[in-house]
Amino acid sequence: MLEIKNLHARVDGNEILEGISLTVKAGEIHAVMGPNGSGKSTLAKILSGHPSYEVADGQILFEKNNLLEMDAEERSLSGIFMGFQYPVEVPGVNNAEFLRMAFNARRVRDGEEEIDPLDFDELLSEKMKMLKMENKYKERNLNDGFSGGEKKKNEILQMAILKPKLAILDETDSGLDIDALRTVAEGVNSLRNEKNALILITHYQRLLDYIKPDFVHVLHKGKIVKSGDKALAIELESQGYDWVTTEN
Amino acid sequence: MPNTLVKSSAESAFLDLHKKLLERGRPALAELQEIALRRFDSLRFPHSKHEMYTYVNTKELAATSFGLPDDAANVSEDFVSRHIYPGCEHQCLVFVDGTFDRGLSRFEGMRADIAPLSEADRELKNYLSETAANENDVFASLSTAFCGDGIIFKVDDNTQISDTLQVLFVSTGRAAAPVMHAPRLVWQLGKLSEVKVIEKFVGRDGGYFINSVQDWLLAEGAGVSFTQVQADVFDSWHFSKTRVHLNRDAKFYSTNASSGTQLARHHYEVWLKEKGSELKLNGISVLDGKEQVHNFVRIHHAAPQCVSRQHFKNIVNGAARSSFDGTVIVNREAQLTTSDQLVNNLMLSDNCHTNNKPNLMILADDVKCTHGVTVGQIDEDQWFYLQTRGLSAKAAKELLTRSFAQSIIQTIEFPAVVEELSGSLLQKLEATDA
Repeated sequence: MLEIKNLHARVDGNEILEGISLTVKAGEIHAVMGPNGSGKSTLAKILSGHPSYEVADGQILFEKNNLLEMDAEERSLSGIFMGFQYPVEVPGVNNAEFLRMAFNARRVRDGEEEIDPLDFDELLSEKMKMLKMENKYKERNLNDGFSGGEKKKNEILQMAILKPKLAILDETDSGLDIDALRTVAEGVNSLRNEKNALILITHYQRLLDYIKPDFVHVLHKGKIVKSGDKALAIELESQGYDWVTTEN
Repeated sequence: MPNTLVKSSAESAFLDLHKKLLERGRPALAELQEIALRRFDSLRFPHSKHEMYTYVNTKELAATSFGLPDDAANVSEDFVSRHIYPGCEHQCLVFVDGTFDRGLSRFEGMRADIAPLSEADRELKNYLSETAANENDVFASLSTAFCGDGIIFKVDDNTQISDTLQVLFVSTGRAAAPVMHAPRLVWQLGKLSEVKVIEKFVGRDGGYFINSVQDWLLAEGAGVSFTQVQADVFDSWHFSKTRVHLNRDAKFYSTNASSGTQLARHHYEVWLKEKGSELKLNGISVLDGKEQVHNFVRIHHAAPQCVSRQHFKNIVNGAARSSFDGTVIVNREAQLTTSDQLVNNLMLSDNCHTNNKPNLMILADDVKCTHGVTVGQIDEDQWFYLQTRGLSAKAAKELLTRSFAQSIIQTIEFPAVVEELSGSLLQKLEATDA
C-alpha cells in the first residue's frame, strides 16, 4: 500500500529525515517510535502533504502512485488520513457540517451523490456513540475550545467518518487520560480490517497495549535505526531510547 | 438661512441646494434645519488630517454636485416586499429617499406610537436642537439640515414588543445626477420596554448619498436588539450617525453587517449615562473591488458598573478599504467599568487596505478595559488542516473566510438575516481564486 524509499527531507534548510525506507501493506499496523526531535512528526507531515516540508530525495508510492506529486487534498481523497498531534482549532466552522463536507468531498470524487443530511446525522451519531462523544460536539465549532483529549477524539471521529485506507496517527495518545485512551484505541481497533493500514507515531509504549502493532520502528536522527515486533516496544519502555540510540 | 456663511465651493453647493429645498415650501423641521445648517457652516467639510476623518477621504463626496430627490419617487410594493424579512411583513417602516412612506409601511396594531418628528414634545425638541447645535460631525449636521420630517418611534413604559420591527431604507438613485437624502429617526424607549429592530438599506439604482441620523433614547431598564444590514449598491455613498443614550440598566445590543459602497461610513456615539447600562456593538464588513467601510466609534462611560463590548471584523479583498477609529472614554465617576474593544481584519489580497485605531481614555482607577486589533491573512495551519480532510484549497479558503465572519453573524438573533448574510454577503468572495 505504502512504499517509502530512501526519503530525505528538509525543513528550513535543515535535513530532518536522512534516508527512510518503510513498506506498509494492507492490514498492517506499524508503530514509529523515537525520542523528541528524531523526525517522527516530520515523517507524518510529509506523508500528509504539508507544504513547508521539502523532500530532497527519495520516493513515496501510495498504491503505486507517486504520493509526492499529490497535494494534501488529493492524498486525503485517495484514502490517506493524518491524525494531527495538535489538531487545529477552526472557530466559526461547525464540527458536524465540516465532517459532512469532508465526507461529501470523497463521495463526489468517487462519482457518488452527496449524502442526505439526515442520513449523515445518523452516521455521525453512531460514530460519536462509539467514541463516547456527547451530541454537543456536533454543534460546536471544529476543535474550538476543545480540551486536548476532546481534540484527539475528534480526530478519530473524522477518521471513523472518512474511513481511510491508510491512517497516520501522530501522537494521538498524548493529552489523553487512561479512559479516553482506551476509548480512542477501541475506536481505532473497530475501524481496522484487512484492507486498511495504520501508522502509529508515538513516544510511549502505552498506546501499543491497546492497539497492537505488527511492526515497531525506532527513528533516531532521521533514520530508522531498529525495527522489530511488539517486543521491541516493550524493550524500549524498560530500557529507554538510549538503549537503541547509543548503539547507533 | 444664515447670511453669515462664506464658504468654499463645496460648502456653497450644499447651501445652494438647501435654498432649493426651501423653495419647495417651509420644511416641517425648519428651525432644527437652520440650527444644523449653521453648525454645518462652522464645522466645514473635513480636511485630510481631520481627526474624525483620518482614514476617510471625503473630498470627492464633498465635491459632488447633488440634487434633491424627486418628491414623487415611485417604489413598487413588490420591490419593498422583496426586502422585507419573513416575519416582519406586518411590522415594517419604509423610507423612500429619506422620507417616511406611510403607504408602504405596515404597523397596524403595533404597541408603539409612531409620529412625525415635527410633533415632538418640548423636551425632545430641546434635545434635538441642543444636539444639532453641538454636533461634532459635519456630515451629521448636513443630514439634519436636509432631513425631511423624520419619525419618532415611542414605546411606553413596561411595553415589550415581541415581534421584530423592520425599517427599510430605499434609495431610488439617479446615476446621471446624484441625489442626497437624509432619513431621520428618533427612538424613545420607556422604562423596562423592549424592542427588536432590523434596519436594511438598499438602493434601486446607483447615484445617491444616503446620510442618516438616528437617536436612541433608552429609559431605565429598556432593552434594544438592533441589527443593521447595509446592502446599498456600489455606486452610492452611505453615511450614518447613531447616537445612543443609556439610562440605568438599559441594554443596547447592536450588530451592523455592511457590504460597502464606494464610500460608507458609520459613526456611533454612545453614552452609558447611568449605573448598570450595557452596550454591545458588533460589526462585520465584507468588501471587494473598490468598496469601502469605515467605522468611527465614541463610547462614553459616564457612570459606574457599566459594560461596553465592541467587536468588529472586516474581510477585505481586491482593492477595498476599511478602517476603524474607536475610542472608549471612561470618566472619573465610572468605576468598575468593563469595556472590551476588538477589531479583526482578514486581508485577502495584496492591494486591500485597512487602518485601525483602537483607543482607551481612562480617568477612573478601578476598571477592566481591553482593546486590540489584529490584521492577518488566512491561517496557513487551518488551511492545511482542512485540505488534509479532502477539501480543495479554494473550498478550504472559502470556508475559513466564512468562519471568520460567523462569530459576528451568529450574534444576530434573526435567522432570516443570518441566512441572508451567510449567503449573499459572503457570496461575492467565493469567486476569489484560492
